[in-house]
Amino acid sequence: MSTQSTPILSVLTEDLLIRVNEKLVQDSDRKIWRLICKEFHRVDSITRKTLRVLHVEFLLTLLKNYTNLHTLDLSVCPCIEDGTITLLLHRVGHSMWARNLKVLNLSRANGLKFSGLEMLVGACKGLESVDVSYCCGFGDREAAAISGCGGLKELRMDKCLGVSDVGLAKIVVGCGRLEMLSLKWCMEISYLGVELLCKKCLELKFLDVSYLKVTSDWLRSIAALSKLEDLAMVGCPLVNDVGLQFLENGCPLLQKIDVSRCDCVSSSGLTALIRGHNGLLQIDAGYAIAEFSGNFVECMQELKNLNAIIIDGARVSDTIFQTISSNCKSLIEIGLSKCTGVTNMGIMQLVSGCVNLKTINLTCCRSITDAAISAIADSCRNLLRLKLESCNMVTEKSLGHLGLHCALLEELDLTDCFGVNDRGLERLSRCSRLLCLKLGLCTNISDTGLFYIASNCSQLHELDLYRCMGIGDDGLAALSSGCKKLRKLNLSYCFEVTDKGMKSLGYLEELSDLELRALDKITGAGLAALVTRCKRLAYLDLKYCTRVDDTGFWALAYYSRNLRQINLSYCSITDMALCMLMGNLTRLQDADLVQLTNVTVQGFDLALRACCVRIKKVKLVAALGSLISSEVLGILHARGCRIRWD
Amino acid sequence: MEPNDRLSLHAWANPSSSCNGLPRKMSLENPSFTNFNLQQQEQKWDDTSILNYGIRIEPPFHEFNQASESEYLLSSTCNNQPKVLDQEDGLNNEALQTSKSLDWDPRTMLNNLSFLEQKIHHLQDLVHLIVGRKGQALGGHDQLVTQQQQLITADLTSIIVQLISTAGSLLPSVKHKLSTGPPNGQLGELLFPPLAGMNCVPQPQHGSGSIAVQPQCVTGSKVSDQCNQMDVTGNCGTEQNLSIEEHEMKEEEDADEGENLPPGSYDILQLEKEEILAPHTHFCTICGKGFKRDANLRMHMRGHGDEYKTPAALAKPNKESSSEPVIIKRYSCPFAGCKRNKDHKKFQPLKTILCVKNHYKRTHCDKSYICSRCNTKKFSVMADLKTHEKHCGKDKWLCSCGTTFSRKDKLFGHIALFQGHTPAIPLEETKGPSVSCDKMDGNEASNKSGKHKFQLWLQCW
Repeated sequence: MSTQSTPILSVLTEDLLIRVNEKLVQDSDRKIWRLICKEFHRVDSITRKTLRVLHVEFLLTLLKNYTNLHTLDLSVCPCIEDGTITLLLHRVGHSMWARNLKVLNLSRANGLKFSGLEMLVGACKGLESVDVSYCCGFGDREAAAISGCGGLKELRMDKCLGVSDVGLAKIVVGCGRLEMLSLKWCMEISYLGVELLCKKCLELKFLDVSYLKVTSDWLRSIAALSKLEDLAMVGCPLVNDVGLQFLENGCPLLQKIDVSRCDCVSSSGLTALIRGHNGLLQIDAGYAIAEFSGNFVECMQELKNLNAIIIDGARVSDTIFQTISSNCKSLIEIGLSKCTGVTNMGIMQLVSGCVNLKTINLTCCRSITDAAISAIADSCRNLLRLKLESCNMVTEKSLGHLGLHCALLEELDLTDCFGVNDRGLERLSRCSRLLCLKLGLCTNISDTGLFYIASNCSQLHELDLYRCMGIGDDGLAALSSGCKKLRKLNLSYCFEVTDKGMKSLGYLEELSDLELRALDKITGAGLAALVTRCKRLAYLDLKYCTRVDDTGFWALAYYSRNLRQINLSYCSITDMALCMLMGNLTRLQDADLVQLTNVTVQGFDLALRACCVRIKKVKLVAALGSLISSEVLGILHARGCRIRWD
Repeated sequence: MEPNDRLSLHAWANPSSSCNGLPRKMSLENPSFTNFNLQQQEQKWDDTSILNYGIRIEPPFHEFNQASESEYLLSSTCNNQPKVLDQEDGLNNEALQTSKSLDWDPRTMLNNLSFLEQKIHHLQDLVHLIVGRKGQALGGHDQLVTQQQQLITADLTSIIVQLISTAGSLLPSVKHKLSTGPPNGQLGELLFPPLAGMNCVPQPQHGSGSIAVQPQCVTGSKVSDQCNQMDVTGNCGTEQNLSIEEHEMKEEEDADEGENLPPGSYDILQLEKEEILAPHTHFCTICGKGFKRDANLRMHMRGHGDEYKTPAALAKPNKESSSEPVIIKRYSCPFAGCKRNKDHKKFQPLKTILCVKNHYKRTHCDKSYICSRCNTKKFSVMADLKTHEKHCGKDKWLCSCGTTFSRKDKLFGHIALFQGHTPAIPLEETKGPSVSCDKMDGNEASNKSGKHKFQLWLQCW
């Protein structure tokens, strides 16, 4: 091999190799590149900018190799804690890796406390973006550590329940150049903290205060942010029209507003907001506004640049569609999920004007028929995403139109549309770019229909066949040969599937999420055949797969080293296999272990002991609460693991 | 102020009442001032009908007090000057203090008895009149008759109660049974038995009356409960009231700092040291009961009749806007050389008696109240101590610059104002970092955390 590769390398200089390497986008392609020869591997190491680490044990060597990293993602890497950071900073080539780091994702790194964060922040001088979302131990002290990043521009702190106004004040004072801040679910944050934020961080462009106790006072303060472009306040029960009126005259650059699920907002408040901001690009008012007043519709006329409007759950009339159609010509996305009053006529009017629509959500708009879908397909040739869940009047005709006109369609949700049949799928299969197809509860489809999809939609990476009783092993065989890129597959309650089907699924090497709930025809042999080949499997649901025995679980424990989440409830797994699983699967973070009749208390104790340092979520029967040793529970608790008692 | 209001209210309300003709005539027939006043009281009963039962028992004692100080009544009825009233307050106060030494005063007893006599005479007259009227009465006056009957019953009740109370004041054992706390003085002692009696005596009598009587009786007893409480805990007051009142007082004192009244545009009053330090400053003009707070007095006044229950009467008197020009009163501190003393060159007057009291205690008295938590802070005003104790030892809001704040919003205001200041996180929360590394040197780890702690400590100070 080396004799062959030498001449190539003599022709290709390092500079050229780097250029070629930069053209590789897909992870799998890069992997192949790395494996060619040492020189290629070296080039990849130099040029690599992003790294997402899955196993903590490789972290040390990886960081030694990649010295030019811009982005480091540790969100799926368990066991990150203060000690790890010390080790990384002091043992790895004078922490070269940290020097150029700009983006750091520490989401769900529960083991990381303020001393580790402080070291990290001290070493990574150039940090611009940090994500500490869902770190349950993240509090004011940790926030104080983060505040050492003077140049920080982006910070996500979603669900950092321990952060109070004091922590926010630390960050606000320390990181005055913040442009993006997410405080979603930081329940301790009050008006005082946000008021200070609005006084100190004047560069702020994006602010997320969803689910907080946002009042009119907050909005008065926020209105002073002159550079704010995007404001998200989902599910804020105290936001009302008075508050929105403050925004009317503030935030001159506002482009996106999200007030979905804000119960006290009415169309008059939103009207005021729109009146002040004609340049709005995106409005999300799902489940916030029950009905639209005439004033609102009138105001909509001014929104010439509107890209997206989401009004889920509202009562609409044809007039609003007429207004949107004739004024918002650049509309790309519309969300009408669970809206009442959506008619064929309305949709026809809408698409006659808004021909650029790429995303249409018509979930539960039950009076929609083939006529509306045909109109959409005829007008919106660039359609990418269409959601038609529970649109029962949709038949094969609609799918025919979509297949004919919407060649670009990537995502189609047909869940619970019982008008969909094999013929329809055949017509739909013309959409060869389909990436995601949801056919859950479509009971009229069979292996034949799936065959058409499999043979034409080779790009497909997500397929939902939940409770499609007509699907069997033949369909899966077709799928495994046609859709090689499939990553997510739901086969729950497809009772016909047997070990044979499992074996064919094994050929889907990219498969990462697989739901096999209640497949009572598959056995240990089937599971073994699947897992020996699907090395990327990260999520596996085996609930109610009662016939899978220990041979299958042994194989699982041995091969599926990338498994992150597993549901074993109601399985016939025994003590030994469970302990093997929990001990061997070093990436496992979430396990549902309810109603395991063959597992003893000692078995549970041992299994939990084997994984207690890395597991983050575990579901157990409530009765076990008093039986499992308190020592194990103590360690689990100290590690930030959440136990859900069933 | 209040007594005047009350009396004027009477005068105003009387003509409009439905059955006023008769008592009015009577009051005209009565020559003496005390009787006149008494009569007014009666008119009130008449007007406010049955609903007043529970409270009606009280007036005799008010009048007893007033009768002993008829001069006071006179001045307050015909003269609208609050100044007189205030002096009267002082007088009352002094009387209270002098009478403290005596356990039983035969003179009071005599007063009491003569009052009772008068009362009985009056009742006699009333019954005479009713008898005379009955002769010419027509069938439609049933209501009037029942009303009169009730009136007489009430009068009789009050006489009985008065008698019991007069007798009670002679028996130390009775007195102690009725008042659980140390009595405040003659006045309080005399007040107690009837008040307690009121709770039990009139009710059986009114049992025959209409149901409408009940609620009033209940409120009546409530008032008496309140009064009892006031007197028993008289010296320290109830805590809640104390703190609230204290804030008001402080604000008042603060507010008058910036006041710039030209000298001579107000009357200057100077209370003596003893007066300032006396426990009570507010006295009921009807029964003479002393209160530490005007708010409590106003609450007490509700027991004296419906006219004190109006929002106007319950509102703070100084907030009332009267059309007449009121002579502004300001107070001087008796301490010579004090800036608040009227002889000082840059004299700054005090606005209210409360200001005087607090100023005198804070500035010229020993700080005898010591905070039990920190054992360092001393106060001369009890309420100041209470306010301090509320915050003492609690989480202080600390800034990185070392400034402490008692309130979070104040700290955040400070941080917003100054560049680079941040809130400091209190040290107590510092836990050793949970480093559990297998490969890392133990020394290194401990050094790290130690250094870190030190930095944190630095940050806090």
